[in-house]
Amino acid sequence: MPIISANLTRSGGMPTAEELRDRLLAGQTLLADTPNHLMQVVDVLESYGEVLDAYSINLIYQAEKQFLNPLPVWKYFDGDLNPARLWRHLIHDRINFEYAEYCQKAMFWHGTGGLDTYLDSEAFLQNCAAIIQRKTRRDPLLALLHPLFPGFILELIRSAATTHALGQFWRVMSDLFLDLARAEKDGRVTSIAAVVDFIQAGLVAAAAKPIIYGVEVGGESFWVLPPEAALTFLVDVAVPYVEAVFLRGMPFLGTVSFNAQAQQISPDQATFAYGALYADPLPTMGSGIPPSLLMQDMYRHLPERLHRWYDSTTRGEGDVRVKICMSFQKSMFCVTNAAIAGTFPHPLDSSEPSEQKANQAYASAWAERLARSRTDCLDASDEAPGRTGA
Amino acid sequence: MLSLLLLIPLLGAFLLLFWPGQPVPGRMRNVAIAVLVAQLLWSLRVMLAFDIHDGGMQLRESLQWVDSIGLDYRLGIDGLSLPLVLMNGALTLVSAVCTRDISQRPRIYFALLLLISGAVNGAFLAENLLLFFLFYELELIPLWLLISVWGGAERAYAATKFLIFTAVSGMLILGAFLGLALFTGSVDFSLTPIMSERLAMGSQLLLLGALLVGFGIKIPLVPFHTWLPDAHTQASTPVSVLLAGVLLKLGTYGLLRFCLGLFPEAWALVAPWLAIWAAVSVLYGSLAAIAQRDMKRMVAYSSVGHMGYILLAAAAATPVSLLGAVFQMVSHGLISALLFLLVGIVYRKTGTRDLEVLRGLLNPERGLPFTGALMILGVMASAGLPGMAGFISEFLVFRGSIAAYPVATLLCMVGSGLTAVYFLLLVNRAFFGRMAITPPSDPQRDARLDIELAPVASRETVPAMALALGVIAIGLVPLSLGRLSESSSTAMAQLPALVHVIAQASQGGLG
Repeated sequence: MPIISANLTRSGGMPTAEELRDRLLAGQTLLADTPNHLMQVVDVLESYGEVLDAYSINLIYQAEKQFLNPLPVWKYFDGDLNPARLWRHLIHDRINFEYAEYCQKAMFWHGTGGLDTYLDSEAFLQNCAAIIQRKTRRDPLLALLHPLFPGFILELIRSAATTHALGQFWRVMSDLFLDLARAEKDGRVTSIAAVVDFIQAGLVAAAAKPIIYGVEVGGESFWVLPPEAALTFLVDVAVPYVEAVFLRGMPFLGTVSFNAQAQQISPDQATFAYGALYADPLPTMGSGIPPSLLMQDMYRHLPERLHRWYDSTTRGEGDVRVKICMSFQKSMFCVTNAAIAGTFPHPLDSSEPSEQKANQAYASAWAERLARSRTDCLDASDEAPGRTGA
Repeated sequence: MLSLLLLIPLLGAFLLLFWPGQPVPGRMRNVAIAVLVAQLLWSLRVMLAFDIHDGGMQLRESLQWVDSIGLDYRLGIDGLSLPLVLMNGALTLVSAVCTRDISQRPRIYFALLLLISGAVNGAFLAENLLLFFLFYELELIPLWLLISVWGGAERAYAATKFLIFTAVSGMLILGAFLGLALFTGSVDFSLTPIMSERLAMGSQLLLLGALLVGFGIKIPLVPFHTWLPDAHTQASTPVSVLLAGVLLKLGTYGLLRFCLGLFPEAWALVAPWLAIWAAVSVLYGSLAAIAQRDMKRMVAYSSVGHMGYILLAAAAATPVSLLGAVFQMVSHGLISALLFLLVGIVYRKTGTRDLEVLRGLLNPERGLPFTGALMILGVMASAGLPGMAGFISEFLVFRGSIAAYPVATLLCMVGSGLTAVYFLLLVNRAFFGRMAITPPSDPQRDARLDIELAPVASRETVPAMALALGVIAIGLVPLSLGRLSESSSTAMAQLPALVHVIAQASQGGLG
């Protein structure tokens, strides 16, 4: 006999912007603090850390060793080209580095912050001119293309700079997430609030880390992002990354397609809402659709504890990527939570009315944007009894 | 040899009914499946003994029964009935296999299933009009019970409607057979064509009309089709498979065997009108299917449309079109059975068949992706895409009929195009987009609904996969089926009187 469809659907709560703002101002976590959430977040971030490690190494390799290579056929091999690795690549037993490139493209396209400003500066153009002059002397293809399309190589160098910057950002995040997993195992982190604090502390510690990028062309070293540009980790890369990948993203929601001419995609890039926090975990599973690539990569590195829990819920292994995506979204809310908490203009316990007002405005602006995101993952409704075992 | 095709299922039915004690759950199903496998194997054995070069009846068996009323036990098989016997064996097996979680009286359920299969075999093999009628009626009551006991919420209404329509059909057929005896004065109920030397044209037309309406109800043709969508909607999946795949074929088989075969002259006279009737039926069925929001009703209306092709082919009565009619019977049997199976899976998993509610079931992890893939294959086959059975049958029907009735054939081709329209609507609504199984409410809330359907076990799709393979096999190697039926359909198209009258009619440019 057919089953009533209400039993087959589940929807989490949808907190209003005011509720979100109040939680941010009160210093509470956005994600409900339950043991299961802690397990999901820590374990999924551990697998994410493993994946980010590979992404980071590859992005830095691409930016440094495949710089202005017109045919970067072996760019995913990190310089380690051998028959066994080629075979594993061909049977797709590998990390989907394409996902890292999609994130780089999102960051490049939605450029905000100091890095983006620097890429249009006079100093950058001068560095590029020197690099191009040196490069075109040795590369007839680029020598031909450069006079025809003077902006072309320039744009490639900008893209390489974003690639390297993202690689450096993920280096920090990978270590941070793996440290978090160790801290949880040691019993130093026992709640979602502690997770948020841990990430916030990690971000703050790395905040002033300089972002620099140099290349070698024809045996000569050049700066693309020199130390003089004074680009730093938090404001010039981390915040633009959150803006681009968590919030704006690219309108790739999987099997749902969008009609830009019908204004289903905002003409204003700043109001884009297609990032990781807005992604629908359900239809993002088709092959080649970017978020599913990340889920597949994380699936390869899933910690045993989380894997066992996934196996015991809904379809078990059958819809494991959907469940990874849901846990990942929860963890990304924790990261966002930490980023917001770390960037309040004034301390939350300030008693100065003007400072309180500034904090309130800051929290309201964030809450307004987050209210439209997938906040239904924040409560613990996926732990309701009856969900286990399909 | 042929008697075993009746005996295996009938004895199987008795075996189930008199099985001692209270059998463990699933035992009855296993016994029924074993009997049906034996029946299918024996059907294949009959196929091996069948001579494909002989267009007449073969492997005949004859036994005097009630001589005084002309009722003889005479069986025979030819290229028209052999594919249908094979399909009956295969589809009854499929419907037994896909019967799951039957809690109510499994003993009687499976016995009725076997009884229907045996009766249908008997109807396809009967070489005596009264014997055919007996088997034709014998299948009626079990099917009525299957709908009215194991059906949906409105089953009483649907089953009664089915019973009334089909009983009228049976009465008209019996009336025509008895009228034949009355008018010709002989109680020989054999399958001998009636020519105008034996019977005046007016009487022929009267008898043919009764048969046409009788079989037209069973096929069903517009306007006698209204019982079918109701019966399908209320019947359980296995019964729908049997109904669409096998029982409707009794109507088309009767059309070819008794209307065309017994009254070739009268047939040739009314054929132009039949072609128009076919076009109306095809277009009405297709347009009605477009308007449906219940998946099962849509497939049922598509049956109404697709059975019209067989009437068109029979009206044209060329060797190619009649071969096309046989192909269409088999391919419609397989394809509609496949579609009903898949709709059944969707219904079992989501609890609804409403196209306004279902969305995105092709979702690879949370949806029913393999069912959806088979559904796409099924609707492509139904719309007549090359490489699948539907293409071969529709091509043969249209190719064989277009010279005789160009306008009607073109209209039927439009119906074929409409098949693509409604089935693409079905696939697009139910299988593409963001997954949903509840009526749309607030778009933002709907986009966040998490859906947890039970997965489709691979054993649930095995019957559908077997049918899909059959659909592709016939589409890629049409010769396999064509060789079985070619001699018979050619022989049927060459009934001398028919050739004569059609030659005259085509000079007149009718149709």
